[in-house]
Amino acid sequence: MKVKLNFFVTLLIGLIVQFSYAQQKTVTGTVIDEQGIPLPGVNVIVEGTVTGTQTDFDGNYSINGEVGETIVFSFVGFQSVEQVLGTSDTINVTLVEATGELEEVVVVGYGTQSKRKLTDNISKLTSEDISEVPTPSIQNAIAGKAAGVQVSQVNGKVEGGVNIRIRGVASIGAGSEPLYVLDGVPLINNNESNNGAPTNPLVTLSSNEIESIDILKDASAAAVYGSRGANGVVIITTKKGKQGKGRFSLNYSTGVSEPTNTREWLNSNEYIELMTEAAVNSFGEADGTEYIEGIFDFLANGTDWRNREVDTDWQDLAFQNGQTTDADVSVSGGSENTSYFFSGAYNNTKGIITGNDLERVTARANISHRVSDKFNAGMNISFSRTEIDRIANDNAFVNPIQAIAQPAISPAYLENGDPNPNTIYPNFLLQEKHAFFNTNIRRVTGKTFAEYLFFPSLKFNTDFGYDLYYQTEDNYVGRLAPFQSTNGQAYASSVGTESYVSSNYFTYDKSFGNVHDLEVVVGVEYNHTNRRFQSVTGIEFPTDDFTTIASAAEITAGNGELSGNRFLSYFGRATYSFLDRYLFKASIRHDGSSRFGNENQFGTFPSLAGGWIVSEEEFLRENDVLSLLKFRVSWGKTGNANIGDFASRNLFTGTSYNQRPGIAPSQAGNTLLTWENVEQYNYGVDFGIINDRISGSVDYYVKNSDGLLFSVPLPGTSGQDVITRNIGVMQNSGIEFALNTDNVVRENFTWSTSFNLSQNRNEVKSLPNNGADIITGQNIFREGQPISAFYMLEYAGVDPENGDALYFTNEEGGVSGETTNNPNDARRVVAGSPYPLWIGGLTNTMNFGGFDFNFTFQGEWGADIYNAGGIYQSANGDYFDNQSRDQLNRWQQPGDITDVPQARLFGANGTVQSTRYLQNADFIRLRNLTFGYTIPTQVTENLKLETFRVYFTGFNLLTFTDYDGYDPEARSDAGQGAGVDFYSPPPARTYSVGVNINF
Amino acid sequence: MKNYKLILSSLSAALLFVGCEDNLNLEPFQEISTEVAIATGENIENILIGTYAEAGENDSYGGDIQMFSDLYGFTNEATWGGTFSQPREVFNKRIFTDNVYVRNIWLNGYEVINGANLVIDNLSLVDEERQATVEGEAKFLRALAYFDLVRLFGQQYEAGEENTQQGVPLSLQGITDYSGDLNIARSSVEEVYSQVVSDLTDAYEMLPETNGIFADKYSAQGLLARVYLQMGNYEGARDAADDVIENSGHSLAASYAGAFNNDADSSEDVFAFQVTSQDGDNDLIVHYADQAAGGRGGDITINDAFVDKFDSEEDERADFFYESAQNDGRLTGKYTNQFANIPFIRLAEMYLIRAEANFRLGTEVGNSPADDVNMVRNRANASSLSSVDLEDILLERELELAFEGFLIHDLKRTKRSVGELSYDDQALVFPIPQREIDVNTLLDQNPGYGI
Repeated sequence: MKVKLNFFVTLLIGLIVQFSYAQQKTVTGTVIDEQGIPLPGVNVIVEGTVTGTQTDFDGNYSINGEVGETIVFSFVGFQSVEQVLGTSDTINVTLVEATGELEEVVVVGYGTQSKRKLTDNISKLTSEDISEVPTPSIQNAIAGKAAGVQVSQVNGKVEGGVNIRIRGVASIGAGSEPLYVLDGVPLINNNESNNGAPTNPLVTLSSNEIESIDILKDASAAAVYGSRGANGVVIITTKKGKQGKGRFSLNYSTGVSEPTNTREWLNSNEYIELMTEAAVNSFGEADGTEYIEGIFDFLANGTDWRNREVDTDWQDLAFQNGQTTDADVSVSGGSENTSYFFSGAYNNTKGIITGNDLERVTARANISHRVSDKFNAGMNISFSRTEIDRIANDNAFVNPIQAIAQPAISPAYLENGDPNPNTIYPNFLLQEKHAFFNTNIRRVTGKTFAEYLFFPSLKFNTDFGYDLYYQTEDNYVGRLAPFQSTNGQAYASSVGTESYVSSNYFTYDKSFGNVHDLEVVVGVEYNHTNRRFQSVTGIEFPTDDFTTIASAAEITAGNGELSGNRFLSYFGRATYSFLDRYLFKASIRHDGSSRFGNENQFGTFPSLAGGWIVSEEEFLRENDVLSLLKFRVSWGKTGNANIGDFASRNLFTGTSYNQRPGIAPSQAGNTLLTWENVEQYNYGVDFGIINDRISGSVDYYVKNSDGLLFSVPLPGTSGQDVITRNIGVMQNSGIEFALNTDNVVRENFTWSTSFNLSQNRNEVKSLPNNGADIITGQNIFREGQPISAFYMLEYAGVDPENGDALYFTNEEGGVSGETTNNPNDARRVVAGSPYPLWIGGLTNTMNFGGFDFNFTFQGEWGADIYNAGGIYQSANGDYFDNQSRDQLNRWQQPGDITDVPQARLFGANGTVQSTRYLQNADFIRLRNLTFGYTIPTQVTENLKLETFRVYFTGFNLLTFTDYDGYDPEARSDAGQGAGVDFYSPPPARTYSVGVNINF
Repeated sequence: MKNYKLILSSLSAALLFVGCEDNLNLEPFQEISTEVAIATGENIENILIGTYAEAGENDSYGGDIQMFSDLYGFTNEATWGGTFSQPREVFNKRIFTDNVYVRNIWLNGYEVINGANLVIDNLSLVDEERQATVEGEAKFLRALAYFDLVRLFGQQYEAGEENTQQGVPLSLQGITDYSGDLNIARSSVEEVYSQVVSDLTDAYEMLPETNGIFADKYSAQGLLARVYLQMGNYEGARDAADDVIENSGHSLAASYAGAFNNDADSSEDVFAFQVTSQDGDNDLIVHYADQAAGGRGGDITINDAFVDKFDSEEDERADFFYESAQNDGRLTGKYTNQFANIPFIRLAEMYLIRAEANFRLGTEVGNSPADDVNMVRNRANASSLSSVDLEDILLERELELAFEGFLIHDLKRTKRSVGELSYDDQALVFPIPQREIDVNTLLDQNPGYGI
């Protein structure tokens, strides 16, 4: 390695040789930015020649040229300035930061790049895109705003997990979450919840401290993150201070929320009618009536059901009126050498489901200091505390939403006001009153960094980053809570995961004349993660006033675990442009990880890209209409190492029998296990028309995932039921279309539109064992079909003769359209996909006078959703569950044409897993709308304020869908398979008002 | 200035290599590799204990096998009124191939079998003086798992026939390498039963007279009596039961209630699955008990039709019920202590086996059938019967052993119908789990479960 390093240094020095040419005149000057800070490394070029130089550390330059020639000053992130060489020997220039869509700087990992010269596919969002969206999760705020990026919050719980899929699902068993990198620190993103439903580990982030989010989508962009880049990379950059006097910024908003949708359930009258009919159909008039009336007596708990004394709206009890409060304050500024940004933020969100709340405090300090003109150092640090009152996972009886299963004739409360304990299903109100589950997440994320400029063109960066995720859970179930039989039970857990990352890299950035621009980044990174978990469970408490383990008379369970992983990576990237129009890029990363066996410990992830800015060619340069036309091609390989820390091993774990220690096999090992490889091609066109008034891009990509990590079912006769294997090939391919237009640009009225639409087609290409199907629950992996396609019986409606539920037999070679009433005689078929084919978003932003208005529509098309709760909720009176109102359309007499079978208590008439409960999940949603008014400057100046703005904002305001369940985006958080809804609460619809004050 | 630059250069070069590749070799913290696990006698004995723990899980003898064996047999004696639809499928005798409980009974059964196989394969590592006991226990557990799998997933064993009907796959080698072909076909019912008998015969020879909470000689003999009874081998059943009664030292608990809900084995327990507040499962509590006892409120309620079968008012067993606080239903008193052991082979069963076998054979080995039946009845304060016929003995089994997992198997071996279903109806045999059919190409589905 030493040899390689020497070689590299020699090479660099060789490249630093300055070009010099015959001179007519020498001109000198200083280049500064708007705040007066000298800018080192600015390219200074005599147009049309190969003469060029760069400014030194103090922004000074010296260049030779002929009078009349034009000198061009250019720097990434700034608008270029042209100056004609006149008689003066001095030309001082102030560069202004670029603001246009295509002049932006994007963060690419270990550096930045101008969007104009970018060969990769990266979506950039700025603070304006994500601030003021009234949701505690920053991921939610980006939904609909970036092409090819699907954001879905699992369901309406405030801390609920969020799935982000960049260009489709690229993995089956290794997770499809992107890598999150905050200011260079890869974020811990493991769900650590122990109540069965995931929490979003990034709920700890506050959007007010975020400057930008860059989403690296193609392999060329993500390859520099190697084995962790396969699902794309989300780079979050926090705000920094700008030179000038301290600036205070204050935001406060408050709002209310409600579910996006509620459903219709049977009232007492309808329930009694349907269930009586169901019982009579199953047991005959006399027996059936007698039996069901006994049940009604029980359900009514002493109330007079015959006169419909009670008509409880259980759904209404499950939901509550949500409230949100969001406040943040920041101070930022800087002197000549120091810049600072301090912020604090507070969020309090009362969820829409009874018992669900979140309270979060975050603080951040970002400081950097120019120690000398060559040496910069600084530190970013943030801490946050997030406290969540949690409710049960979707698949628990005490999940409030499961209250919709309670018949309306059951009273919710007893006469004394206590929750009624005598219900058919446990009354969640008892849980709400007598139990709690609190999760507390403390997070510290930060880095110290230093940058040393050997020469203006060569710098060295060293970053040391640290991320601590420390979570505690405190759970107490009091003696009157459902299922409590041990005089109270407490569970307490704590988990601490800490990760540190050390990144060191050289950046060489140099222009040679105005012909060659070269940037080379070379570095090494080491990432070390440890996790420590412990928990304890105790029972037998003196009274419910004691809720901590200390008072438990008996400790019944305890756990302690250690785990960890290590990544060691070498990376390099070179970008080169020739004549500002021929662009080339290559990168490579060599990654090693402790997660893989010794044999397969290292992988190499290369990428190549090229671009051609056609509009810079002579024949188009003078074209007034076309301001940019760029073609891009990229190829690269990335990996997915997200498989658990010791997945390759054959393992035994400790167990006990009668409190005597034993061991048992816990994992079937696979010594050949290695990363998933994703190879991706991207072909794109960027365009800008009329001075970039209209700009956009079209991309086509093909993403092949090879060696997919997968829990392959094993014959259970082997003693193990699954093994992790690198199997199969899957392809995601699609197009992305993004368009930004400035529709109106006037002094007092601007209107811009941003539109994106993307299609992702997923296909499983190859499976092991000669392509044998892999079936888990209602999902199948089958060659030629999309991943996790729904696989179930095909419901054929109701036999008009007798009210039997029918299923298509779908027998191979059988008669098409043949049906049966015995589900065991029917064959399952591929019936849909849990993932959308099309996703899109449309954002409009308008400013007129002091008013600003923007809204975002978001849509998804082509996904299906399986309501696994349907077999209870909409089961034509199969059991005592309250039924959805559409069940009143049941078959009643021969000749009835309906798709709801005859009501038969315990009759299992139409209640097996089938397409009866599978529906299209297409939707269009008004995701966000903000309307603001800024008080005129004349008024605010008198108040010594810079700006004063009031606004209204709404979230999930409108939803258009044909889905009959709660919400087309709500999915079970209890791990019941892809695309499954199971008593899953809908997301919140929030209305909020707020104020921004800057001074 | 030059020095400054030099220092920084070397510093940055040094930092470049801060990462060390040795750090990538990280070992698991709370698990061990298979190579370590099967390398020492101590660990082989640990695997044996782990196998008991597997067998005691909810999916098997933590309750689901017993519960399903009864639900499958209930017609009007008891009702599954619980909200879970999959036990209801069993109660309705209309099981779908994706039934998760059925799947887990299969999977857990083979986990037990693999654990036992690993112990048997590696006996040579165990201390010599412990080898026989360890082997005997492993064979006891293996036989137990196969016996229930073959009874649930295959048609009834027919005495004197060839029994070529499909049983379950016989896997007798421990598996630690999962890279090869793991497909395995079903063996015949005869083959599985003969393996069970051979394992239990071996276990009886190898096990000590007493063995604490673990299987001893008489646990194996007691199970063998049950197996022989199921096979219609009445001599075998009689002699095995007689051996347990006469030689094991066990005695009936003083009262019927005393035989249940015990934190430690009672004098009557020939073998029991161990449950403590810290380990072991008890799914019988979950579904038979009300919430105060740790259950779901009484998913299985006992009907008058069962209570009406008792002929003696003083019979404690006729009153061994309580009312659910949740659904007002009648619940069995056998499962009211959630941390109690689960009695699995009670001495009372041995008396009833000996009685039935003696009766069928016309012998009186040990005691007369009537005396054996009365032994059990009198303990529960039920009046004595002056004489017994087969019907009396079978009824006594129902009354004494209710809700302990005997019903469907007794109905089948005595060729009695279950409601309208003949004892050999296809609907009274579990489907091979769909997931298993999906992954093991050599498996045939049971008839009646479609395609």
